[in-house]
Amino acid sequence: KSPEFNASYSMGRLHIEHMGGERVFSCANCDCPLTNRQQLISTRFTGATGRAFLFNRVVNLDTSELQDRVMLTGRHMVRDVSCRKCKTKLGWVYEFATEESQQYKEGKIILERALINESEGFPDPVKD
Amino acid sequence: MENGSGCLNGSGAADSAEKAQQQQQCPAVQLSERNREAVRVIGQYLRELGLARSAEALVLEAGCPLESGAAAQFRSSVLLGDWDGAEASLASLRRALWRESSWSEIAFRLAEQRYLELLESGAHIAALCVLRGKLTPLQLSPDRLHRLSGLIMCSGPEELRQLSGWSGAAGGTRQALLDSVEQFFPPSVMLPPKRLSVLLDQAVRAQVSRCRHHNTSLSPDQLTLLADHSCQAAASVPSVCSQVLDAHQDEVHVCQFSPNGRFLATGGRDCVAIVWLVEAAANPPGAPRVRHHLTLRIGEERGGVAWLAWSPDSRLLLACAAEEATEVIVWEAETGDCIKKLKHRDEDSLTTAAWLPDSNHFVVGGNRGHFYLCSVDVGFEKAWDFIRVVALATRREDDGGTAVLAADTFARIRRYRFDTMQDETLFREDGPVMSMSISQDETLLAVCVASAGVHLWDLRLRVCRRRLHGLTHGAYLLHASIGGPNQDFVASGSHDARVCVWHRGCQAGDGAQQHLLPDKLSGHGGLVSCVSWNPRHHGMLASASDDCTVRIWLPASLAAAAQAASADGTGPGGAGFSSNGCCSSTVSKHQPPPLL
Repeated sequence: KSPEFNASYSMGRLHIEHMGGERVFSCANCDCPLTNRQQLISTRFTGATGRAFLFNRVVNLDTSELQDRVMLTGRHMVRDVSCRKCKTKLGWVYEFATEESQQYKEGKIILERALINESEGFPDPVKD
Repeated sequence: MENGSGCLNGSGAADSAEKAQQQQQCPAVQLSERNREAVRVIGQYLRELGLARSAEALVLEAGCPLESGAAAQFRSSVLLGDWDGAEASLASLRRALWRESSWSEIAFRLAEQRYLELLESGAHIAALCVLRGKLTPLQLSPDRLHRLSGLIMCSGPEELRQLSGWSGAAGGTRQALLDSVEQFFPPSVMLPPKRLSVLLDQAVRAQVSRCRHHNTSLSPDQLTLLADHSCQAAASVPSVCSQVLDAHQDEVHVCQFSPNGRFLATGGRDCVAIVWLVEAAANPPGAPRVRHHLTLRIGEERGGVAWLAWSPDSRLLLACAAEEATEVIVWEAETGDCIKKLKHRDEDSLTTAAWLPDSNHFVVGGNRGHFYLCSVDVGFEKAWDFIRVVALATRREDDGGTAVLAADTFARIRRYRFDTMQDETLFREDGPVMSMSISQDETLLAVCVASAGVHLWDLRLRVCRRRLHGLTHGAYLLHASIGGPNQDFVASGSHDARVCVWHRGCQAGDGAQQHLLPDKLSGHGGLVSCVSWNPRHHGMLASASDDCTVRIWLPASLAAAAQAASADGTGPGGAGFSSNGCCSSTVSKHQPPPLL
């Protein structure tokens, strides 16, 4: 399972967070943990590679500059997101939705299904 | 206050007329109330030092007695052993007490001293009379009476002193009795014991708490009274880079001094851990220098050294890898022999570790949920399941066991006992934890929180003592370190290529705000990931950076001495010595490391 890094250097050791959870989603390229099933809001989205999921909170992402995009559901301001570790593009995050019915997506992240892996995690044993 | 004729010791002797004459001959100096108090306090100080005649002369000239006549009489009676006289003086002082009820306590202590002295000199009959006639009628605690009456059975003064814990008539017990009685009287009648010493001590302590760079292990009574105390930054806080160690081929991510301060271990992306020796120069003393000792390889496929941990006896060095971290390696630092390669399962990710006090057991863990107790002798011993470990530290507990402190991915710092399998959440951080470091005396924990700085937690009081700001945030791991003789200094790396040093300050007050901003040390050419204080040479700081170097920082005065003392000294300005002794210029620009 040797991960494929970008050939250019990276400074320091990246701080990689982990959200835990019983079903963990991670980057398909380098296995960097991203989010989990509890953060999943909807599976009925479509991206460049096909199916895409909408998540509430995702960690270990880098964001691009703000882009104006017209989608099936209307005009949105989005940023592309990529894996912090291997820089693979994974999806996008909604910053602003012009139509009121779409504003629930603001701040949420789309990850394309083909670019992420789902794997078994474990529950947090701490009770307090 | 009973003043009478203003005599010091109220002896009422025949030369009172002479004294009155002397009084009239002395110029009458008008003293304010504060001045009179100062004179009394100084007089007491002189008397305690044994300069009784000076004290008398002072009182005579100032016209201001140290204490009331009856109190002076009481004092001299006790010191002379004139118990009846003491009792008489006490009776006349009775109405001056804070509380009427304390009179019986004082009378008891007086009679107790008399009783013990009589026993010591062998006058048992007289002692019994005191017991019956003086001590018992007071009707104080029966336990004390029983204990005192039991002492009559002692066969001799030695046994008496041993059993009672009383050091004898000649052992300063009369003065101790006076000191203990003083608290029952208001200061106008009797001064509190050692008043000037107490005031001076308070003043020095206040100066120490305001000292911004306090970095000395001298106790307050060793500091000078002649000038306000403040540590010179130049003498205590590291500010000058005295050495640049460039033996690494790639980014350096970890640096750790050993607990005995003799070794420095560094490691990074080049998959090599280097052990350096710290040598304290003999002339001038106290200017430490670092020289290369050993290079230890961990294997190229493992992505670099993620963590280095010294055993508490400074003998063994443990390394964790960054990627493919299924195995941890333990070497003996002096010889470089590989003592142990510990691997438990193929899917393990063990990126952080900490030793237990026996220098045999250690804990390892990683954020994939592996958390193990292992030992050098046996290997893997126990697992704690389902905890995603970010950082580890250990701490001795009151019952002799060792608690493992682990920060996890839920921003909790929890305490685990592998012997009793008990766990407990100690602190919850408000942001993701990057790393954690415990102070040498195990009382403070420095937690680096992403985008929030360094938080200092007190492990005994279980509160956050300080939030330290001023370092530059970013996406990469930073480590902090607590150092200084009193755990007063905190240093950490920063994304702006500078080392941050804080003096955490012990007193909240007008000086508190200035302690929160760090001193910043420039010189590195890239992100500074990790810092480490030398536990023995308190002003010595090491920093590891992405510019592939490790820098040694010393206080300005020591660094100047260090450079002057070495053979090929260079001028000031940050140019330092590389590990093989040649001069190297400062790395001023970040150079990308060779492609893997």
